[in-house]
Amino acid sequence: MAHTAEIDAKEAWNGGVSPFRVSYGKMMMWFFLISDALTFGGLLVSYGFIRHKYADVWPKAENVFTHFPFVEQHLPLAYVGLMTFILIMSSVTMVLAVEAGKRMDRRGVTIWMLWTIVGGLAFVLSQCWEWYHFIIGTEEGAMRNIWHPELGKYVLEKWTGANMVYNEYGVPQFANYFFFITGFHGTHVFSGVVINFIIFLNVLRGTYERRGHYEMIEKVGLYWHFVDLVWVFVFTFFYLL
Amino acid sequence: MEFHDNYPSYETMYNHDEAYGKKARKTLWKVFWVMLIITIVELIIGFMAPGQGWSGTFGLKFLFIGLTIVKAAAIVWWFMHLGHEVKFLKYVILLPYLVFMLYTIFIVLTEGTYSGRSGKFTKSDPIFAKQQEELKAKGHGAHGGSEHHEAEAAHGEEAHH
Repeated sequence: MAHTAEIDAKEAWNGGVSPFRVSYGKMMMWFFLISDALTFGGLLVSYGFIRHKYADVWPKAENVFTHFPFVEQHLPLAYVGLMTFILIMSSVTMVLAVEAGKRMDRRGVTIWMLWTIVGGLAFVLSQCWEWYHFIIGTEEGAMRNIWHPELGKYVLEKWTGANMVYNEYGVPQFANYFFFITGFHGTHVFSGVVINFIIFLNVLRGTYERRGHYEMIEKVGLYWHFVDLVWVFVFTFFYLL
Repeated sequence: MEFHDNYPSYETMYNHDEAYGKKARKTLWKVFWVMLIITIVELIIGFMAPGQGWSGTFGLKFLFIGLTIVKAAAIVWWFMHLGHEVKFLKYVILLPYLVFMLYTIFIVLTEGTYSGRSGKFTKSDPIFAKQQEELKAKGHGAHGGSEHHEAEAAHGEEAHH
């Protein structure tokens, strides 16, 4: 733990040193994450606003997400619990990769990065499965006023599943926000997996060994943990509350 | 002006040896177990809540939000390593975000009434009201399937039956 002596607060801002004691890249990653977190924060606040407005017709997540792969039973929240577990687990493997990088342990970084990528992919595929079942809907469906352009009017008929206009589970706003927020988060997870994979290839090629430090792992790690952080909130506001 | 950087490399500043790493890993796994237990508790409460009829209670919502913030803090503090950064960086990252988010939440809570009265959708939407009448005429209407939410019962055939 060399060079960790506290900086004199007056000296720190005179130039020549980083008052934050971080490299440029890591600081910029933090700043990017703040802006991204504001986007997600704004989305979740607006979600809460609309949900409160339609409180009496807002569907309950326990009644919407009840499927589990290969099981015919009615299992609310079980699947999203599994998804949350996968993402938290991949966050742990990521932080272990960062820790291994700080010891210049190339083998450790390789193994933990690989597990992180596997976890990320598993999460994205789980998300696809969840979306698929949400879009397909249940067999019973629900009565909805469906617009028929050829007739020029709404007709009350059975509707199954959800899209941006009609939603069998309740108001269409539920589906809109579900698609947008989990989709935006899923896009982050997917790009995180791609970035992790590129960094993983660099680890295999020995790029960071030659560079003399594994700080790049820490930077992608920050991004990956942020994705997990957002999911913690999405999980609460969409599935638990 | 002479450039005098007292720190040889910010990138390797936090590097550590095996002994320290062992301790660090132990902390990280501990954080993981705590987060896992919190998640499982949340799921168990969420699973039980609809049957018990206390899903919509105020206290339960605050419990969920509180547990979420605990988890979020654990991620930021230990996994994202913010707890080990210098004070300046902590403030620069956390303060602007908290100020903006608290302000946004405050403004939605206080000014949100402009969107119309909450929880009155059933009465305010003419298409929805007409649909309910038609459903009633066909015998599809309110059958009292759900005790907790009148609106759900009035909503005709819901998915959860």
